Amino acid sequence: MKIAFELNGTPVEVETDPANMALSVLRGECGITSVRGTCGIGLCGTCTMIVDGKTTASCLMPVGALAGRRVETVDVLNEDDPVIDAFIEANAVQCGFCIPAMVLTVRKLLEDNPKPTDDEIDMALAGNICRCGCYAKIRDAVHLAAAKGNPA
Amino acid sequence: MSTAWHSPTTREEVLRLRAELGEDGTLVAGGTFLGVLMNNGILAPEAMISLAHVEGFERIARDGAELRIGAMVTHRRLEFDADIRALCPMIADTFAVVANPRVRNWATIGGVLADADYASDPPAAMIALDARVVLESASGRREVSVEDLIEDVYQTVIEEDEVLTEVIVPLDQSAARYRKFRTRSHEDRPCVSVAAVQASGGLRVAVGAVAGKPQIFHDICALAKGRAMDSGLAREIGTAYAERIDPITDARGSSAYRKRVIAVEVRRALEDLAA
Repeated sequence: MKIAFELNGTPVEVETDPANMALSVLRGECGITSVRGTCGIGLCGTCTMIVDGKTTASCLMPVGALAGRRVETVDVLNEDDPVIDAFIEANAVQCGFCIPAMVLTVRKLLEDNPKPTDDEIDMALAGNICRCGCYAKIRDAVHLAAAKGNPA
Repeated sequence: MSTAWHSPTTREEVLRLRAELGEDGTLVAGGTFLGVLMNNGILAPEAMISLAHVEGFERIARDGAELRIGAMVTHRRLEFDADIRALCPMIADTFAVVANPRVRNWATIGGVLADADYASDPPAAMIALDARVVLESASGRREVSVEDLIEDVYQTVIEEDEVLTEVIVPLDQSAARYRKFRTRSHEDRPCVSVAAVQASGGLRVAVGAVAGKPQIFHDICALAKGRAMDSGLAREIGTAYAERIDPITDARGSSAYRKRVIAVEVRRALEDLAA
């Protein structure tokens, strides 16, 4: 089946089984490797994508459900995005595996809530697991990014 | 062979597809639970019927003394909707503690009730609220209480040609609390959950995540009839629930552990209710 959607601002069309999960199609057919498969049950957060403005577990969404929708991954951000700068400045990264999804989730959080409190940050990132345990520094990075403001 | 994907836009089309495809047609609401089953090789649908674009399935409306919630209303909406917060805050409190925002953005009230997972938060809350669901098919429509809907783990009375289209919640409660007791991480499912509702028909207490389906005992709830809730009565009902339930053992707690937690959490829920 042909499935057409918008990916990071560009219209794409993939020919695949609609029951395949978005994660495998994004990584395979679309070549987007910033979405990563780990738990397969929507718990860890490494496969996060944004669909029609909502954070979404790409490991749980059949790609058929993406037809006609707007899909974004961390690749949509400019390299000088304040969130990326803030993660680097705060040393919030160790192995980096969870980071694309963290950055994407934080970008979305700051669009909805430009000055989140510690509690609000913790709630927003509750489903994004960092096995290096960088949580405290990730929280610092969120505050730093909030201070820098959203990109114009 | 590629899976057939249907994306109907009208209620009539959904019911026709459901009648035609029978058990070969898997309904997709938010997809968060189906995804887990498919990733684990438990489910490989021949055809999928997406409910994402069906007109009218995302409606929230007050209808006299009841609240009508469309099957495709997401957890996230129930968490933040101003009418829900004002009319029945326990619904918002319950849906706000399911999994993480990524899952709540897509998981739906219809989906979570039709899945009937023993460890989900909403079923116990909906049973305590005495909610019912609307089941529609090409040949008719019926209403079933959530208490009667769920038979056991992943088992409901929904027939092969039926679709859960709406949830109806009475708004006659004077107090309602949902308590979620977790033994692992914040976003995990409950080890024991308690929903306690004081409504015009009396007290309703449902305990979730401890058995194949939420546990409610009307005879024990009736102990509260004509008595003001206080810590003594709360303890009496908590102890009676713990004695009656034969809890399961899973990664979130042993049977014996759950039994002790049930007594405490039911008591606390009832104390919260009186506060």
